[in-house]
Amino acid sequence: MSAQPYGLIATFKTAPALYHAAEAVRDAGYRHWDCITPFPVHGLDKAMGLRRSIVPRISLVGGITGFCTGMSLIWWTGAVDYKLIVGGKPLFSPMFAFPVSYELTILFTAFATIIGMFVLNGLPMHYHPVLKYDQIRRGMDDTFFIVIEARDPRFNAANTRALLEQAGGEAITELEP
Amino acid sequence: MSSHAASAPAALSAAPASTAPAASKALTFGLAGIVLTALGLFVSGAKVVAHSWLVGVTYWTAIAIGMLLLVLIHHIFDASWSTVIRRQFEHGLAAFKWLGLLFLPLLLASFLYDRDLIWPWLDLNHEMHGGHTVGHDPLYLKKAAFLNPGMLLGMTIAFFASWMWLSSRLRRASFTQDQDGSLGWTRHNRVTAAIGLPIAALTLTFAAIYWIKSLEYHWFSTMYGVWFFANCVRGALSFGVIIMVWLWQRGDYRGILNTNHFHSIGMLMLAFTVFWAYVTFSQYFLIWNANVPEETFWYNLREINHDGGSNQWKWIGIFGILFGHFFIPFFFLLSYRFKVTPHILRRIAIWILAIILLDLCYNIMPALKDSHGDALPLLSLNLLWILTSVVGVGGICVWAYLRSFGTAKLIPIRDPRIGESLTHHE
Repeated sequence: MSAQPYGLIATFKTAPALYHAAEAVRDAGYRHWDCITPFPVHGLDKAMGLRRSIVPRISLVGGITGFCTGMSLIWWTGAVDYKLIVGGKPLFSPMFAFPVSYELTILFTAFATIIGMFVLNGLPMHYHPVLKYDQIRRGMDDTFFIVIEARDPRFNAANTRALLEQAGGEAITELEP
Repeated sequence: MSSHAASAPAALSAAPASTAPAASKALTFGLAGIVLTALGLFVSGAKVVAHSWLVGVTYWTAIAIGMLLLVLIHHIFDASWSTVIRRQFEHGLAAFKWLGLLFLPLLLASFLYDRDLIWPWLDLNHEMHGGHTVGHDPLYLKKAAFLNPGMLLGMTIAFFASWMWLSSRLRRASFTQDQDGSLGWTRHNRVTAAIGLPIAALTLTFAAIYWIKSLEYHWFSTMYGVWFFANCVRGALSFGVIIMVWLWQRGDYRGILNTNHFHSIGMLMLAFTVFWAYVTFSQYFLIWNANVPEETFWYNLREINHDGGSNQWKWIGIFGILFGHFFIPFFFLLSYRFKVTPHILRRIAIWILAIILLDLCYNIMPALKDSHGDALPLLSLNLLWILTSVVGVGGICVWAYLRSFGTAKLIPIRDPRIGESLTHHE
């Protein structure tokens, strides 16, 4: 037997077939697997048991960091490091620090969102084992696929193949790493 | 999705369940509120009650304007997801003619009973703080072409006339499309939206200036119309959520609304919360920063008394306006789970509606002053007349909405976007 394969890929002809197969794979408890579809299938995230992304939380952390950075910047420069009275105003007030803090909140939120998204989705990705599968381009046209990765703790070449067959998958193929 | 009508649930071919008992209850509440407010004339005097009535009428007018704007925005952007809830806003627009009628007592009393009742500039003999009269006030004379009885009357008539005209155009086109399914009505409403948005923007700005801002006609703020606009839209969105949850729980909206409709309207509520805060903070910040007496007096009145002590409005400003109107809704609406759980989203909608009322009180009621020129406190008997006014005007508006509710289908079943709206997905 050759080295451990990357995983198994199964072909489905229709979106409902894929949807129900995804539910079966989800219920079998797999975690490292994915669906490949030519178009977004509404509700597939639920059928796959995907949780909501944690990017919004990363954004919130970025936003709070930005706000605090803005406030401390104005406080440090104006009230600590180089005290200067401007226009009869106090050395520090959240009022005039607010526009800067607001801008930095937005800037840091945007950074956190974009960086968080790229870190979590693993893009840019220059190579992926499914690209070696000769039928994969049909996944951009009229065919649906489910890929279950071998690194999944529940993966077992025979049982996983049986699950995909039972779920209605056709042309089940091992993917090279 | 080729045939839009076919994708609407079958239950919709029937008219919605009767709302007649609820409508008559609303009318009873409305009339009772009006009668109670009228009794206030003998208890607290005409000036207090007139200002309270102004709060009540502008509050519901703001919500109706917000609904008008949402329908216009829906059409100008050819929006899809909001198609299923647009019909409820169209029913809400039925309130404009009653709001116009309910505004009338303010004008009649100001012109016929006491010129000095609400807007001090209607009375040229109104005594100013320094001893001279409005008629000799240079700041009034500069604005006299704008702030005079004829303009107030003409503008107010023009406001209500344009809102009623736009509403009737939108409603007629939408309701007729239910019958004949003609795409022409969608184009018709798009034209109405293109004409109507600038009209609505200008009228609501001038309404805010004439009715509310001119209570202190020395003051100026270029943000005022935008502040009013933000409150209008926030009020309409919150009211929309209450209607959505009501119809959802009653069963009408089962199979029509899904999680994403609540998520989408929740996101709009969050966006307008931030927008409101941006505008309101900008107004305060520019005045704070410039620090010129012509502008700061407006906030001073809402913060300190003549002896330097804090008054109630200071705490209302901090806890009601800053925290209640921004921080609480902002952090609440950041959560996905809160936005997609109907009864939780309704909680914040009710909160926002209550705070918009407080915001209007904050802008209108300090125009009532005691002999020292200090703003009268909110927590007093005056609050009762504000609440009776809100119930009075609100009862009539809800009655108008419910009366219209039975005259058309629950959703615009032959709108070309209805299929997309029923399958709305984020």
